[in-house]
Amino acid sequence: MNLEKNKEINLKVCTRCIYDEHVDQITFNQYGVCNYCLQVDDLIEMYGTANPKGRATFEAYIAEIKSAGKRKKYDVIVGVSGGTDSSFMLHLAIKEGLRPLAVHYDNTWNTAIATQNIQKITDTLNVDLYTYVVDNKEADDIFKAFLYSGVSEIEASTDLALAEVMYRAASKFNVKYIFEGHSFIEEGITPLGKNYFDGKYIKEIHKRYGKYPMKTYPLMTFSRFIYWTVFKRIKKIRPFWYIDYNKENAKNFLKKEFNWEYYGGHHLENRMTAFCHSFYFPNKFKVDYRNNTLSAEVRNKKTTREEALKIYNTPPYIEENLLQYFKKRLSLSDEEFESIMNQPLRYWYEFPTYKKFFERLRPLFFLLAKANLVPMSFYLKYCFPTK
Amino acid sequence: MITIIDLNIGNIGSVVNMIKHVGGNCKVSSDPAEIKAATKLILPGVGSFDKAMNQLRNNKLEEVINEKATLQKTPLLGICLGMQLLTSSSEEGKEKGLGLIPAETLSFKKTFDVKEINERIPHMGWNDIRVEQENDLTKNLIESSRFYFVHSYYVKCSNKENCLMTSNYGFDFASAIVKNNVFGVQFHPEKSHKYGKKVISNFVKL
Amino acid sequence: MLRKRIIPCLLLQNESLVKTIRFKKPSYIGDVINTVRIFNELEVDELILLDIKATTSKTEPNFELLKDIASECFMPLAYGGGIKNLEQAKKIIEIGFEKVIINSGAYSSNDLITQIADELGNQCVIGSLDVKKSFLGNYVVYSNSGNQKEKINPFQWAKELESLGAGEIMITSITQEGTWNGFDVELIEKITKQVNVPVIAHGGAGSSKDIEEVFCLNVNAAAVGSMLVYQKKGMGVLVNVNNLKR
Repeated sequence: MNLEKNKEINLKVCTRCIYDEHVDQITFNQYGVCNYCLQVDDLIEMYGTANPKGRATFEAYIAEIKSAGKRKKYDVIVGVSGGTDSSFMLHLAIKEGLRPLAVHYDNTWNTAIATQNIQKITDTLNVDLYTYVVDNKEADDIFKAFLYSGVSEIEASTDLALAEVMYRAASKFNVKYIFEGHSFIEEGITPLGKNYFDGKYIKEIHKRYGKYPMKTYPLMTFSRFIYWTVFKRIKKIRPFWYIDYNKENAKNFLKKEFNWEYYGGHHLENRMTAFCHSFYFPNKFKVDYRNNTLSAEVRNKKTTREEALKIYNTPPYIEENLLQYFKKRLSLSDEEFESIMNQPLRYWYEFPTYKKFFERLRPLFFLLAKANLVPMSFYLKYCFPTK
Repeated sequence: MITIIDLNIGNIGSVVNMIKHVGGNCKVSSDPAEIKAATKLILPGVGSFDKAMNQLRNNKLEEVINEKATLQKTPLLGICLGMQLLTSSSEEGKEKGLGLIPAETLSFKKTFDVKEINERIPHMGWNDIRVEQENDLTKNLIESSRFYFVHSYYVKCSNKENCLMTSNYGFDFASAIVKNNVFGVQFHPEKSHKYGKKVISNFVKL
Repeated sequence: MLRKRIIPCLLLQNESLVKTIRFKKPSYIGDVINTVRIFNELEVDELILLDIKATTSKTEPNFELLKDIASECFMPLAYGGGIKNLEQAKKIIEIGFEKVIINSGAYSSNDLITQIADELGNQCVIGSLDVKKSFLGNYVVYSNSGNQKEKINPFQWAKELESLGAGEIMITSITQEGTWNGFDVELIEKITKQVNVPVIAHGGAGSSKDIEEVFCLNVNAAAVGSMLVYQKKGMGVLVNVNNLKR
């Protein structure tokens, strides 16, 4: 794999993190600092991340959750994948005295590390687990549809399904709060533009390129989205926006406390996302999303720009025989796979989506974001027109 | 090229799979010419002694294997029944074995009856081994290695120097044997996870 | 020293994995290839794969799928479900499975097990019987995934399977299966005493204590289902081996 990143002469790179001018909608101020760094600064200011203001907000949420959860079996839903953030979040929920239900969406591409991690933590913390397993033929059909379409958002079906499944679990047990493990400090804000997904988009891609009817796949349609947020009023809280969360420390803690295992990289606990991040995006779209986490680490001073750039310029780790497994699972011959890799790139805006809806309903979503019924990052990303 | 001798009995796919997994190259053949050209040989085996020996003879492979092993000193690895074929004879059948290692294959049942041992037959499952001598096949084995065994007959070496590993099932028996470039393992390395991978890897690297 | 084996027992239905309770109400577990891959990563002792629909729907084993599965594993594999003749058994062994499991096939043609044992060796054949405990405490043998009563009693039948050439006997308690309530210890003990080949106990394991209990009966292996595919009893699907430590 030959990315030639940052080897371009005169490539403009943020002076603070490692986002370069190829990143969508990036701008630089007079000090060469990118708008994404500034956006993170603004969010830290707004949420009081890792300082008393944030802590106070978080504690208020905890009290609210406990109160709303009285006489119910569970008071908060925590989505788990076996990864660092969700594993730590479950521990956090217990530590704060909450009674979480762990929820897992199994896209049928889990690694042993992921399932073992989930088991170890839920077992030690004595937390119940609710799993939604999509039919493997359907899941693979949707993945294949995305591959054949030429767009990049293969992970969309998993991400959206987890969100829908968490809402369903919350509704089933009458829980009003969901914890999400996103941290803009540790992961940065994913740049707008190139990547996008929603229920209509997934449905459309599947309609055009899929073969099997969508029966067990939990699709979040617009109406379901409105139902969960406006009518069921299920709130999404992101603890890491408020408290002091450090991924490295979290990993070490989890290893010690639960014998948890690290899987080698962000998103590598699932083989489908591992394929996407380690192979598909870098080779077909010439995008390496490690710049998100690496930039975040630089901003947090957990690593230097030089170190981060060094890592960024080495090829991503890819599990031995992952490609072989990938082709086998999806019944793709070498030729079919090559042709998928070589076919023209396509983009979300070439297909029907809910984007215009979201933009038109911006005032509504602003209110929902303020009430924590949708994440603020959703509002910022989805409700504004992209260039 | 490592050539796996195809006796048309049992599954070779797993052996091929593991060799590829440890980075080796191999092919499967029952053609004497191809076997003659091999740089290393693997003799796998499932089934009965007589059937396997007859298969070898019908395909005119006995002489080729003998020549490769004794004259050309080609590394040869016998697995399970393949190891038993390296001995001079087996209580399972009437045919003579390849006789490449001075040893004979005996019946667990007969021995258990004589020694009044009450164990079930076949010997089936994961068992430990004790390395009796260090050589290229046994070097750097994972600590507390265990392997998957499934057999009703066992090998007894005539000389101690040919015994490479021993295991215990009611009594101690040879779980691996050796004579110069000829090796035999009673267990299935291709079905013994990382422990087996090390053995196969050592053979590939010889 | 020979160790006792703990063997994940996976049920296949139309290319997906399911889990039943008392042979009924199959609920979806996931993708079989990924699950097998996970168990290989977790270095399990062995794996049993049973196609629960093949015999009743009179279909052949899914050889393509079995090939994909075999290439994921570096531990022994056993397959059962719809095997009717020697050719099919041979094909399964050639694909990469160590053993074939014969259950319903043995009732209709007594010869099948003997043929396979003669051709491939008795260690390649597991003779399997499914047994229900009636309300009055009698043991009744069933074939065809628990749908057809057989006239022979389990103790006689187990001995018969051994004499036909089975290298191992697998006893499944339909009554206990999927319940997490423990093995049918009485049934297993009695059969184990009757045969001289290794015995695999199956059906009902709910904790490591259950497995220890059955190991004390001189069985060679415990086949486990629910404990390895659910987080805990009544909870979500999660492929794991940690429950074995509870």
